Amino acid sequence: MGKRLAGIVWALLFLAVPVLGVATFAIAPAFNIWLPKDVSEHGASIDSLFYFILWLTGIVFVATEGLLFWFIWKYDASKRQGAATYIHGSHTLEVVWTIIPAATLLFLAIYQMNAWADVKMRRPAMQPTVEVVGRQFEWRLRYPGRDGTLGTADDLFLVNDLHLPIDEDVLIQLKSMDVLHSFFLPNVRIKQDAVPGMKIPVWFKAREAGEFDIVCAELCGWGHYKMKGRVTFESRAEFDTWLERKYAEQQATQPPVEAADVAQAD
Amino acid sequence: MTPPNAATLPAVDHGHTTVTAPGHAPRGGLSHFLSTYVFSKDHKVIGLQFLFSTLLWFLIGGLLALAVRWQVAWPWSDVPVVGKLFAQEGGQMAPEFYTMLFTMHATVMIFLVIIPILAGAFGNFLIPLMIGADDMAFPTLNMLSYWFMWPAFFAFGASFFVEGGAASSGWTSYPPLSTNVASSPGSGWGQTLWLLGLTMVGVSSMLGSVNYMTTIILMRAPGLTMFRLPMTIWAMFITAVLQAFALPVLTAAGFMQLADRMFGTGFFSPEGNIVNNAIAGAGGGQPLLWQHLFWFYSHPAVYIMILPAMGMVSDILTVFARKPLFGYRPMVYSIAGIAGLGFIVWGHHMFMSGMNPALGITFMVSTMMIALPSAVKTFNWLGTLWGGKIQFTTSMLFALSFVSMFIIGGLSGIFMAATPVDIFIHDTYFIVAHFHYVLFAGTAMGVWAAIYFWFPKMFGRTMNEFWGKVHFFLTFIFLNGTFFTMHILGAVGFPRRLADAYHYETFHHLQPLNAFMTWCAIGMVASQIIFAANFIYSMFWGPVAGRNPWNANTLEWTAPSPPGHGNFDYQPVVYRGPYEYSVPGVEKDHLMQTDPPNAVASAAASAAH
Amino acid sequence: MTASASIIVPASIIDMIMPFASTLVRCRSVAPLAICITALLATGCGKTQPASFRLNTVYATKTTAPEGDSEKPWSSWSQERQKQVATILEAMFGTPDQPVALAESGLDAAKLQLAAGPVRSDIVGRKNGLYREHCGHCHGISGDGMGPTAAFLNPYPRDYRPGKFKFKSTWRDAKPTHADLVHVLHQGIAGTSMPSFALLPPSQIDALAEYVRYLSIRGETEAALFTYAEQELSGDDQLPTSREFLIDEVLVPVVQKWQAAEDSQIPIAALPAGVDFSRPGDDLANRESVARGRALFHGDGGCVKCHGVTALGDGQANDYDDWNKAIVEASKEVAGGLETSRETSTSDMSPDKLAEHRTRAEWLHAFAEVLEGDALRPRMIPPRNLRQGIYRGGRRPLDLYRRLYTGINGAPMPGIGPSGPGGKGSVADAEIWHIVNYIRSLPYEFDGELGADRPMVARDRF
Repeated sequence: MGKRLAGIVWALLFLAVPVLGVATFAIAPAFNIWLPKDVSEHGASIDSLFYFILWLTGIVFVATEGLLFWFIWKYDASKRQGAATYIHGSHTLEVVWTIIPAATLLFLAIYQMNAWADVKMRRPAMQPTVEVVGRQFEWRLRYPGRDGTLGTADDLFLVNDLHLPIDEDVLIQLKSMDVLHSFFLPNVRIKQDAVPGMKIPVWFKAREAGEFDIVCAELCGWGHYKMKGRVTFESRAEFDTWLERKYAEQQATQPPVEAADVAQAD
Repeated sequence: MTPPNAATLPAVDHGHTTVTAPGHAPRGGLSHFLSTYVFSKDHKVIGLQFLFSTLLWFLIGGLLALAVRWQVAWPWSDVPVVGKLFAQEGGQMAPEFYTMLFTMHATVMIFLVIIPILAGAFGNFLIPLMIGADDMAFPTLNMLSYWFMWPAFFAFGASFFVEGGAASSGWTSYPPLSTNVASSPGSGWGQTLWLLGLTMVGVSSMLGSVNYMTTIILMRAPGLTMFRLPMTIWAMFITAVLQAFALPVLTAAGFMQLADRMFGTGFFSPEGNIVNNAIAGAGGGQPLLWQHLFWFYSHPAVYIMILPAMGMVSDILTVFARKPLFGYRPMVYSIAGIAGLGFIVWGHHMFMSGMNPALGITFMVSTMMIALPSAVKTFNWLGTLWGGKIQFTTSMLFALSFVSMFIIGGLSGIFMAATPVDIFIHDTYFIVAHFHYVLFAGTAMGVWAAIYFWFPKMFGRTMNEFWGKVHFFLTFIFLNGTFFTMHILGAVGFPRRLADAYHYETFHHLQPLNAFMTWCAIGMVASQIIFAANFIYSMFWGPVAGRNPWNANTLEWTAPSPPGHGNFDYQPVVYRGPYEYSVPGVEKDHLMQTDPPNAVASAAASAAH
Repeated sequence: MTASASIIVPASIIDMIMPFASTLVRCRSVAPLAICITALLATGCGKTQPASFRLNTVYATKTTAPEGDSEKPWSSWSQERQKQVATILEAMFGTPDQPVALAESGLDAAKLQLAAGPVRSDIVGRKNGLYREHCGHCHGISGDGMGPTAAFLNPYPRDYRPGKFKFKSTWRDAKPTHADLVHVLHQGIAGTSMPSFALLPPSQIDALAEYVRYLSIRGETEAALFTYAEQELSGDDQLPTSREFLIDEVLVPVVQKWQAAEDSQIPIAALPAGVDFSRPGDDLANRESVARGRALFHGDGGCVKCHGVTALGDGQANDYDDWNKAIVEASKEVAGGLETSRETSTSDMSPDKLAEHRTRAEWLHAFAEVLEGDALRPRMIPPRNLRQGIYRGGRRPLDLYRRLYTGINGAPMPGIGPSGPGGKGSVADAEIWHIVNYIRSLPYEFDGELGADRPMVARDRF
């Protein structure tokens, strides 16, 4: 009897895995512990792929864990009469459970290629909007200035405070000054390592204005956690005005009136 | 439990080594003590040496993890009790100390615990016993494989005390952070010692690997064909193959990195690379080269870290389900498939690295495909349970939880394999959840299953079942509390390796969840006290176990518990596969591999009459 | 461990373990201990002591050199002096958790509260402990530039205690204004490990700047106390603790300099004709100005001496800044003293002399120990490579003008403007703009006079 009870406890413990597992995912969005808001154009395809895989794996998860529970429940030695089934396998079953997952995985592999190519392979033909350079431990930014070309005397230099226009393609030239960094925009579904010695293009189109985090997602040393930036998406007009203002500040030859550095600190 | 009469068995001359000599050999004396207990060439002693060493490092790795978790849950707050020992200021852990903590947590757990506990401890202990051999093919090499671990223990251990502390560029040790000495405090002596330690672990693994392959191919008992091998041995065999082919690449890469650091070469540093106002060597190299070389080893290494556990769990499941393994050959083929595919998927660690995105697609396809053999294995485990008579021993519970947890770890891998999704979850807690489900909730649970299962063979006594189940229950609950929540943390994009992520608006609200996870982690480590106490107590005072306490089929259970030097008191001869449980028409519910067919036939005949 | 032994001997595993058994049995008593430790971990007991400021031991030891007329042994009175200074400082400035802002210090107590203390958020979400969250692990809890991370940085983090700051708008020897400190926090210091804190709310930056000032004033007060004691007291004397002394004689002179900062800003000359910073250096509009700047750079400005004729920073490069120089010089003094002390023969010394000699040796050893343990290994400061386009003090023409005008306080970089109001510099104020113009053109100078073998601009190489 005690053995039977123990068997029930263990079976329920294993049942708790799919139940609580699904529950965790189900209630997480209610606590805002879920995909952060997406403001990019391509993000929807990434998110839908995420949900697709989530459903797919979720079903397999519940099915297999459920089956595990059921077997543990049903085939408990303390309640089962007679001998265990003497079987060495089933060729048909092996074929079935090889072919079906194989087909599913292959479908998944082909299905996602387009989304990948959009984000990483189909680079828009344009000059970089801005150069982002990772450095221990900040994001150094360089805008091409009025001539639209990077590497000239009218470049605008800034730190951590990235502004970009919305509703148009932006192309970022990503570099690193020292070690590996990773340019991660959670709200734009963009991540790309910055590698010293390489210029890596990153592009996207933002749909919504607002301020969002830039995170470093590749260990870059003791101050890795400090490498916080901010991206501000704004309309083209606001963006141009901002660029002009920053450029004027960079060209300053007199102290700003009444030390307004603090007040104007964006 | 009656061993067959030795006189009726065919005489097989294996030389003097199979003879269990009477106790008139000279005893006592230092040299005797050293050769028997310390520099022993007996595979069982070496296996136990590996087991004890790795369990101690397991404790250290666990405490490092707790310190990591403390900082993640309550950043910059005083670490209780041990806080004063850290590099700290005003009670706050220094951020570089945090990077060191997670680097060394991973390093210790991977290189000093998981790999040596599977291949070193269980590989050594089980291979000769399960194939009916008296010892390994190369006992001296075997002894060296253990003693090469000690320079590694010293290198990793000492690195905590050098200036700048232990290595802190992650266990992946990506350059230029790891190659440029000035780039981080731990990139000084700590990193050099790390590379030396890694090389020594590599030498140890390589010595073991050569030995396992040779032993399994050449020293099987009469009648033990390859397809009568237990899954444990198949897994150990393929693991050995993986190690033999993958390790040289890592060793070479390690020396290249060492040269970059010490001799100013530039394999991994681009020209003119300046970090912290210090120029690193000649330059002209490529940081991505290291990643390719490193993952060419370390991806197969992931399978080195799980395949033996899969094998052991397969065996344990059959014993306690009293059923033959479902789909023996598909299981073997899928292990081989994992090993083969394992060599062509390394690039999936590098989807975001700046590697050509077109190359990413090929790696994505191969990665998707490697999920297949794992799926086949899972279905076969379920098939094994179907229709069984499940006995809930502690060992079985751990084995069942291995299956349950491996399903989670396997399925979450598909998210990362999908390149577009990986853009978002790469290097977030999602991946941390994934590999902890595979390596902790998978391998470590498998290891516990194996410890509880083979403990009687190791020490002649069984572990306490009640406390074993308490240990299982608490570990199971706390591990899920710690690691399952990491999935949803990853879904927010919460990055790994951040000492303090709460100053980001996106992650600001996640502190309570992290505190919950840390409490669970503390509980998980505390639960291991039960295990340690049970282990040590049972070693000396547990109930004495016979030769075959679990009524299992494989060869090691025909030997005395614990087996003497030379293992078997007679030469086992194998007549069948390892999984003949509940054979219809046979009185007892298991047929050992050594039970002679005529005895079985007559028993069956008498039962029929 | 002969082969025969390992083959013949039948040893069961239990036998193998037994020699260790007694040890392991004792280990069982470790289990309760482990439980206790875990319980402690879990409940968060065993809190460490509240944080405290470190004494400036280098300066304290330096100023407590033994004197002949002391009654007490050196080790005891120097210890007492250090303790007394620590007590006075705690009374005047409080602790890292509970800073005190005396009215005479001119410090804003509310801002200090925001920045001080351990890292935490209070109920309304206002952050406390800003300094320890963002600054402490490099600059140290005492502002001594010796947090745990500091030793690995190049250059070292600033030691606030001498009250010297490099990048500011005021005369070379004057204190920085509040806005100057805020500006550095805002922009970071390119080319060093000082990051930009631009994303912090202005109120937090403000609080941090105030806290830096607090640590500086505290450090200067500390030094003033030790200097006073060295000059005015013999070893046995106690420092006066009267309000007149501590406030009026020690604190107020320090604070006055800080309060004078706003009025010590250097004048900025109007732009001369032919300087147009909105256009590149090789533009027709700037060509003459840049040429003039180049001439000054090589001539009256004296820049080539350190920055080199190529402006790659390859001129004289073996100097230290003041913070490191203090350590270098003290180390030299100690090493020299120890050398002399070793060489001196003590055999024919009078007992008095011998005692004095021994005390001095004791002090030298103590000083050497302090320099070894409480100071960072000195690092040289190389002149800037002006072709990289990395300007530590900022890239605005205004920033470059100020650097040229006053030089960099505490660093070997001299000013070419007047050293104080009404003075005369080596280059006229307005002319400095031409040098600024020239320096700004350097990173983009591709076909200059230096020839084709000039290295490519480093900034564009990767």
